[in-house]
Amino acid sequence: MRAPADTAGTPATSRTGLALRRTGLLLLLIALWWAASLATAPYVLPSPDRVAQRLVTLAASGDLVANLLTTLSRVLAGFALAVVIGVPGGILLGSNRTLGAFFEPVLPVMNTVSSAIWAIFAIIWFGLSPLTPIFVVLMTALPLIITNVWQGTQAVNADYVELAQTLRFSRLKTLLKIYVPSILPYFFSGARLAFGFGWRVSLVAETLGASSGVGYRLRQASDLIQTDQVFAWTIAQIAMMVVIEIGLLAPLERHLFRWRRDVRS
Amino acid sequence: MDATPHATPTTSSHAPPDHRHALAFRHVGKRFGRADGTSLEVLRDVSFDVPAGSVVSILGPSGSGKSTLLNMAAGLLTPDEGRVLVLGHETSGTVDWSRLGYMFQDDRLLPWRSALGNVALALEAGSIGSRERRSRAEHELARVGLTDFAGAYPHQLSGGMRSRVALARSLVTEPDILLMDEPFSRLDAQTRTTMHHELLRIHRERAMSIVFVTHDVEEAVILADHIVMLSPRPGRVHAETTVTLPHPRLGTPQAQALVADLRAAIAGLSSDWVI
Ligand SMILES: Nc1ncnc2c1ncn2[C@@H]1O[C@H](COP(=O)(O)OP(=O)(O)O)[C@@H](O)[C@H]1O
Ligand SMILES: [Mg+2]
Repeated sequence: MRAPADTAGTPATSRTGLALRRTGLLLLLIALWWAASLATAPYVLPSPDRVAQRLVTLAASGDLVANLLTTLSRVLAGFALAVVIGVPGGILLGSNRTLGAFFEPVLPVMNTVSSAIWAIFAIIWFGLSPLTPIFVVLMTALPLIITNVWQGTQAVNADYVELAQTLRFSRLKTLLKIYVPSILPYFFSGARLAFGFGWRVSLVAETLGASSGVGYRLRQASDLIQTDQVFAWTIAQIAMMVVIEIGLLAPLERHLFRWRRDVRS
Repeated sequence: MDATPHATPTTSSHAPPDHRHALAFRHVGKRFGRADGTSLEVLRDVSFDVPAGSVVSILGPSGSGKSTLLNMAAGLLTPDEGRVLVLGHETSGTVDWSRLGYMFQDDRLLPWRSALGNVALALEAGSIGSRERRSRAEHELARVGLTDFAGAYPHQLSGGMRSRVALARSLVTEPDILLMDEPFSRLDAQTRTTMHHELLRIHRERAMSIVFVTHDVEEAVILADHIVMLSPRPGRVHAETTVTLPHPRLGTPQAQALVADLRAAIAGLSSDWVI
């Protein structure tokens, strides 16, 4: 159960309070990191200022942005393919009971296959190419999107379909005005999950089978025992995911589902 | 049933339908198949008319086939026996369905649409432009007194307001016939009385026939020009009563007498009819 809302603070002050707490947490972690780095060799745990310097040089050379964008474009490509295949697939499986019952076991099996296995297959089939991470993202994202869209089709309220019938909506209008809005929340949560997973497995795939991208640079740095570079790439990619989450996905979700009673405020 | 000074029992009419009838049911029978292969007879030889411009209440216990009758009038179900005529046309033939409005037992508002968007939905089947849809929906919302809540989502509205939005949605197409399936049964007594006034006002303002399904005797007496009483399943026309009392009827001695008469008639009919 959720705790009752804090009655003392207005939304504005509680938001400032949250920002303060988050900044405090960040500073605390950096302080702990710095303290620990004093006692260890730089190739085991480089100090925060050393990593920061490395981030600056990577950014200045254009390396940072180029590799982040390379990886992001691969994740987006695999993700887009998963949406293009998974949305119609999920709707088909959800609307045809025989088909759904037949294919049902495939999805959990696909979900249990490790991304490293997909990556090995991809290397056999595509070699060291951008197709390798794209394929791994696709295979990871696809079952998540299909499952969620499938669930969404099953959650469509038959009463709303009856309403569309009394209004003499065509099949297409019923699909667009009743089915799509009903499925959208399910699709969105599946897509978010798929995007997050896709980003993580793309790094694994790039580590094993690519010659550019954040994953490739991480492995390169680790091979050369450039621990400060490993830290710099890690921080950069976390920062990018946080920016996408806070700057894009969270506001999009708030906007799309503003009609909900329980939208996160 | 007993004749009273306020109620004139009539036998169901078997005359051929004409354009004065908004709706006509002719010897309608309906069965539903069940999983075990048997079938459930829901309606048997039901005949009655809805004269154009009148309010007809279909009164019957739960399971007597009231919703089934409405669904046949709306063309969602076909009768197994007999015929249903909408504005003189067979429902199996060509009917201009846009001349019918339907209001459900639940308000059935789409939660992802604002009040205005829900009303406009009823205009989205055809090719009406979005600006006209919007202005007509705004106008209709204003007529039920909800201009200030046009942008509100269903969960932000009270039960009475949601009912008004659903009413506006079924009226925005300017239907000739409004089918209402126990539309106010989930409202509290006070809100329901307000909605009764609203509905009667709307009926006075427009040339429209209303078919109002209810299991509540008092509600039928308050609203209807004509009451068709169905027997328990399989539903048959048990009695028809014309009500000529002036409005408002709630709480008047004549209306109370009629309610008592009808309840007495029901008492012998069904033990599980909650009244
Ligand atoms: N589509 C259907 N399939 C099978 N049985 C149905 C269907 N619709 C209604 N029934 C049954 O028909 C009977 C009458 O239903 P209904 O018309 O909804 O009655 P009422 O509206 O008077 O309560 C009920 O017993 C109900 O279970
Ligand atoms: Mg019913």
